Order: sequence, then structure tokens, then C-alpha cells
Amino acid sequence: MPVASWLEPTSLDQACDLLADDEFESTALAGGTAVSLMLKMGFLDPERLVSLARLPGLDQIDVGDDHVDIGAAVSLSQVAQHATLRACLPSLATACASVGNVRVRNIATLGGNLAEADYASDPPAVLVSLGAVCVIRGPSGERRAGVEDVVVGHYTTSLEPGELITSVRIPTPPGRSATYLKYLTRSSEDRPCIGVAARVDRAEARPDASVTGLDVVVGAVAGTPQRVAEATEAEVGRPLDRAAADRLATAYAEAIDPIDDARGSSWYRTQMIEVFVRRAVIELSDGPGRGGTA
Amino acid sequence: MPDPEVATTKVRFDLNGSVAAVDAPIGQPLLTTLREGLGIRSARGTCGVGVCGTCTVLVDGRAASACLLMTQQVDGREVVTSEGLVGDHGELDEVQDAFLGANAFQCSFCIPAMVLTVRAHLDEHPDADAEDVREALAGNLCRCGSYPEILAAVDELVAARAADDVAARAADDAAVDREDPR
Repeated sequence: MPVASWLEPTSLDQACDLLADDEFESTALAGGTAVSLMLKMGFLDPERLVSLARLPGLDQIDVGDDHVDIGAAVSLSQVAQHATLRACLPSLATACASVGNVRVRNIATLGGNLAEADYASDPPAVLVSLGAVCVIRGPSGERRAGVEDVVVGHYTTSLEPGELITSVRIPTPPGRSATYLKYLTRSSEDRPCIGVAARVDRAEARPDASVTGLDVVVGAVAGTPQRVAEATEAEVGRPLDRAAADRLATAYAEAIDPIDDARGSSWYRTQMIEVFVRRAVIELSDGPGRGGTA
Repeated sequence: MPDPEVATTKVRFDLNGSVAAVDAPIGQPLLTTLREGLGIRSARGTCGVGVCGTCTVLVDGRAASACLLMTQQVDGREVVTSEGLVGDHGELDEVQDAFLGANAFQCSFCIPAMVLTVRAHLDEHPDADAEDVREALAGNLCRCGSYPEILAAVDELVAARAADDVAARAADDAAVDREDPR
């Protein structure tokens, strides 16, 4: 069926109401890069397309003392090129800079990236590793949910009809360092075979200060970003050294049961999880300030 | 004849400096609208999924894949194709000149898109070095494999721009010296 109507709400309430109205099969689009592909492939057959492009106020980047708020309509290029974000959220800027090609990054938005929940996209794993929280607006008001509770399955989110991600809040505590390693098996603009996002928090911003928090999240290997919480929690309070990197690499390779796709078999991905988890942790073991450029 | 079953909307946008007004089927890719309704030939469909880059256009100055943009998305915006880089009297853009100078093409199918990608990158990042521009071009494919010539064109252009900057700064300094003989 061809699409019957194109709607451009100019307020969030209007947008939520339009999308909550289940009499019509409605699809929301922000940059529309993912929706365009899904329409072409026949994965979507909406009666109405609801463009979010004219919603006000979703294109802001606000840098606070201990967090950053990024509006859902901010493009991946804007995140990648924003000087302050590159300094305070280097792993996120790196991940956004590595999505697809410049044309896709110019149009695709951060909110749309999460709402698509593409298992092989780079930003979700990084946002999970940083403890990012989505601010979600719906017909019954606003709620907040961690990115890991929003991206819940293969191209599946926990968003209810009529709910929209309006911004993403990312903590930026002192003593934090983070990195994102993208491993490609085909060409430079491809989705990753695996992506490893790692983040460490230290009591002080010194490489030898004790570790107060650690997260390692592997993307593109399953329907959702994968973490092995027992393994990372066991390293808190211990030196983050080569031995810790080896323990984490082994634990992640054993715990994750990867998918097979054109970018790598399940067996191969397991080998690469071990390699890249180790590399990511070694990078952070050298202390804050190094992450994000790999 | 338009299919009465297909819903359309009126879309108006600036195309290469002129107003384009079309009735576009909802969700129709901008690429289709440009080629079939508006006589644009330089934006070309190949992969249809935003990977190859041959349908590159500039939207409000930034590179985009016309195959992944719905026509409705450019309502009220400014779209430039490589036809739009040519001046009123046929003068070529510096990027077009650089590609010609380096014979940076074989069949030329991908070249308008390459030119636009370079143009947009240099407009956004006037001080970009050749490596930055190569990175931006990573998403434009050439089946003839003319990459060495294309990258040579980029290198020459970036070097020429840097030399012009140096000359312009020297001229500015000389002008300041004349105004302020101290």
C-alpha cells in the first residue's frame, strides 16, 4: 500500500497524539535514513508517515557540570564534530564519527539511531557503557529509561506507541575515561563485525587511582549491546592492568553467544570479542585521557 | 499520468538557486523527483541504500544521499546538485576545475557526487587537509578505480588553497603595514 498521508507535527504533544492513535499504522521519522531503507525493503508499510523534523527544541546540546544532554534531533555528524563532546565524551564522538558515511551521519539523528535499535550500529553500545539515559515523552507525560532498557531486542525498543525519545542524558563524572573500538571486516563505511565500548571511573583522575566503576559493552554481536556484569564488577577496586584485561577478555568471550552474519561467523566473533575486549581494557589501563582516538 | 491511488504533497524547495515546486508522491525519494521531474542528471541512482554515493546532493550545504531522503523532507530547504556549482557564465567551481586538471575521472558516472562531497567538506572545514577530505570521500565509490587521480585532484586543490591563504595573509599584512607604518 502506498503511504496515504505525510504529517509534520509542530509540537511534541501533537506528535505523541498522532503516533498514539492506533487507528492508523503510523511510522515516525527523524532523519529518515533508516525508515527510507526499511520502506524500500518492504519491512515497513505505514499508512502515515510522521516527520519529526519540525518539532522545536530537540536539536540542542547542553553541557552541564556532571552530565551532557543531547537532543534527539542532533545529527551524528554534530556529535562527532562538537569540540566539547569530543573532549568530554570521546568514545561517543568516535562512535558517531564511524557510522556509515558522511552523508548518513549528516542526516541520521542520535534519537533515531536509538529508536531504530539496529544491532550493528555503533552508538548504542557506547551509550550503554556510559550509563546514558533516554528522556522519553509520551501521551501520559515524560519518563526516563537507561539505554539498555530502551534497546531491548533485534530492532526492538521498549517504546510504547506514541512515545518519542526527546533527549539523551550522559553522565560525565570526573575521573572517567572511555574508549570505543570498532572492528570492521569489510569496507570502511560498513557496520562493525564487533564494536567494544569500555568505560572506567577512578576515584581520582590519575591512572593509578583505584577503580570505582567499570563497564565493557560489546555491540553488533547480538540483538542488543552485551555486557557481562559479573566480570566487570569483579574488577572494581583492583588495579586495571594487563591481567585484568586478560580476565575480562576471557570472561566476555565465554559468556557471549554471538550471532552469525555477513560480517563474521559466531565462532569468529568469539575470537574477536576476546581480542578487542582485551585491547579496549588495555587502552583504559593507561589512564584517563587516552580513550576515544583508537 | 499520475496514479490517483498515490497520495502526493506539494513540495517547494530551492534547487540550484531556483524555486522547484512539485507534487511528489509521499515518501518518494528525492533522487526520483530530481531525475524524473526536474531534469537533474548529475545525481545518479546506483545502490539505492546510501552506500555508493552516486546520488549525493547538498541539502542546506551538507552532503546527503538523495536516495535516502524523501522528497517531503526537503520542503523549504536548499538543494544543490553539481549543476548548481557552475556559475552563471559557465565558470566551473574550483573543485570541478581540480578534477578536470587531474583527469580525475574515467567514465565519470560517480564524479559529480565526488565533487559535491569535496565541495561540502571544504565549505564546512575550510582548513581541512587532504587527509580529512579523503576521509570524507570514504563513502563515494568509483567502479573505474580512478581513485589515484581523484585523490591527486584533492591533494592539488588543498595545496593550492593553502598557498592562496598564505598569499592572502601576506597581502593583508602588507596592507596593515601600509596603514600603520610603525
